[in-house]
Amino acid sequence: MRHGLIAWSRDEVPASALDARVAKLQAAMRKEALDCVLVYSSFARPAAVAWLTHFVPYWNDALLAVFPDGAPVLLAAFSKRMNPWIHETSRVGEVRAAPDLGKGAAALMSEKRVSRLGVVELDALPWRIAQPIADPTRDAELVDASGVFTDVRHPADAFEIALARRAAQIARRALDAAADGSRLASHALAAAERSARLEGAEDVIARLAPDLREDATLVRMEGDAPLGARWALELTVSYKATAVRVTRSFASGATPPSWREADAWLERTVAASAMADGAPGRVAAYRVDVALGTEPLATWDTDGPETSVPLHDGTLGVLSVKLEPKDGAWLAAVPVLIGRGPL
Amino acid sequence: MSPSSRALREERRARIDAALADAGLDALVVAGDAWRSDYLRYALDATPLEGRAIAIVERGGAARLFVDSPAEGARFARELPDVAVAASRSAITEAERALAALIVKRVALAPLAALPYRLAMGPFGRTIAEGTALLDRLMLVKSPREIDAVRKAAALADEGYRVFREAARTGRAEYELVAEVEAFFRSRGCPENFQILASGGREVRGMHPPGERRLAAGDLVTTELTPCVEGYYAQICRTLVIGRASAEQRRAFAIYDEALAAGVAALEPGATAGDVARAENAIFRREGLGEYVTSEYTRVRGHGLGLYVDSRPMLLEDVALEFRPGMTLIVHPNTYHPEVGYFVHGDSAVVTDGGCEVLTRTPRELFEVAA
Repeated sequence: MRHGLIAWSRDEVPASALDARVAKLQAAMRKEALDCVLVYSSFARPAAVAWLTHFVPYWNDALLAVFPDGAPVLLAAFSKRMNPWIHETSRVGEVRAAPDLGKGAAALMSEKRVSRLGVVELDALPWRIAQPIADPTRDAELVDASGVFTDVRHPADAFEIALARRAAQIARRALDAAADGSRLASHALAAAERSARLEGAEDVIARLAPDLREDATLVRMEGDAPLGARWALELTVSYKATAVRVTRSFASGATPPSWREADAWLERTVAASAMADGAPGRVAAYRVDVALGTEPLATWDTDGPETSVPLHDGTLGVLSVKLEPKDGAWLAAVPVLIGRGPL
Repeated sequence: MSPSSRALREERRARIDAALADAGLDALVVAGDAWRSDYLRYALDATPLEGRAIAIVERGGAARLFVDSPAEGARFARELPDVAVAASRSAITEAERALAALIVKRVALAPLAALPYRLAMGPFGRTIAEGTALLDRLMLVKSPREIDAVRKAAALADEGYRVFREAARTGRAEYELVAEVEAFFRSRGCPENFQILASGGREVRGMHPPGERRLAAGDLVTTELTPCVEGYYAQICRTLVIGRASAEQRRAFAIYDEALAAGVAALEPGATAGDVARAENAIFRREGLGEYVTSEYTRVRGHGLGLYVDSRPMLLEDVALEFRPGMTLIVHPNTYHPEVGYFVHGDSAVVTDGGCEVLTRTPRELFEVAA
């Protein structure tokens, strides 16, 4: 859960960088004649509001109201006692206590005479919040603002890239710690969790394949499992509101030659931003995850039949692959800058 | 899957089928994500890690799960072999299509807290209150198996607090304490824990996620730990002092300890959530601290526990919900004290036929750790 270190370092992300992001959104809103854009945030979906303001909800949920001018207003279901913490860890204007977020947002829209309201990921907005906003008696047009937000969300700026690099470093060190002689999933996960949290990770989400020779599916560990001779661990690590994912396959004893080839193939693939030739086995699955909406990482492209929206070069992403060399499955995930190579 | 997990899953499914039959419903549609996974966990034993998940559970029949993450789709397909799992770009769109095929059936949607706008605006939107209430009723009173899971979680919380106490010393940052506790819970196979804390003195008004502040001699260090077993959460709230407790800190502790005892004593079948809150608050009022039991200084005086860390009922004076045997809660008279700062003290408990059983075993002490 998202309760590791939550802090805003003005050195890592200056207020001016956050202001510039808000200004980009405001410019796009003006083009679309939107009087306000609402952005939802929760423990599970903090990314969009965090990108705009650095606000990360450790508990409860919140709505950010962005108007064409001025600082965003945060409607928070937190106690008013948390306002100093909110201002310490994020850059927002007014913070309004709104135990009922939907009613609070509807009241704010009336107060500001909003006639055209955009909501990022409107389709997914929880009904508890959406109901008062969508009330047909309210005289306001409600539109989906996902595209408006996505357009300004990428590519990544220098500050986001620096945070992602730090998150990736934390994740890689956590994987090193997990590899240290663990024979049980619980020990590997404990070592990874401790390493990542001590280095300042805000959140660590783990999926693990305890025995690659049995099954290469990454699962959520509840309880324990012995680790086979070959296993894999995927860590999604958030650092200062920026998430990356790193997956590594582990083998007891010497690294299998096919895995060394797989590493080299992945390096070529990332450098070329395209599937390289010479994989030591079938590419059984791949996917690219990016942070363009409210989720820390969401799938943008897969080996499945659906097409994806175009991205700007320089967007932060994660390439995850599953290879099937002759001697068994190999899993890996690496953070990338789309079209530019490794992070 | 462990035998106890399987038994819990089968038991919950049977309760859902019976409740659907009682309500004359053919199917239940349940949405969730990594934050509000409780209803999905109850309905289908599914706990999302990322993305959205929407389940369709047909009475006495098949279950389907729609997710928008391929990784989650693969995971659920393995974890839930008897569920038809579909991963796509939009779980909402796929669930909407599936619902269109159920148009002639009686279907209810849930929960209000997580159901997406688009499904709510569809033909079954008027059923959200009914579907949510159905699951809320089922989730409020726990079965013996569910209570056993909460009991194990409470024991784990006790152990976690011992780790926290041992980690707390002068110079350590708040987030480093949490790292030790998280690692401990992971080492015990526990995948989730909700924890907040605070350190300092009179300036501290509440708990928060860990920051970079380093502990100093004389600090009060508050925390609430909330690990889970088989998805069921239990919580402990305690306060410790770095070094020797001052006379003011001891006096404050005595009030919170008495309030906790009063709240626990009031927790019995037939009593209301309001009764427990009033019992706790009466101690503060008697001490001239009535101002500090208002919403300016405290959120709730405890709350339910279950598949969500902050379940119904909230322990507040105006909540009239009556307790029944099998309800699990934390009683915590946490609030600000003007002489020492924010202070927490709470135990998990289960309502029994004759009163309640306190599940927390950690002594009710103002712990002192070496400065």
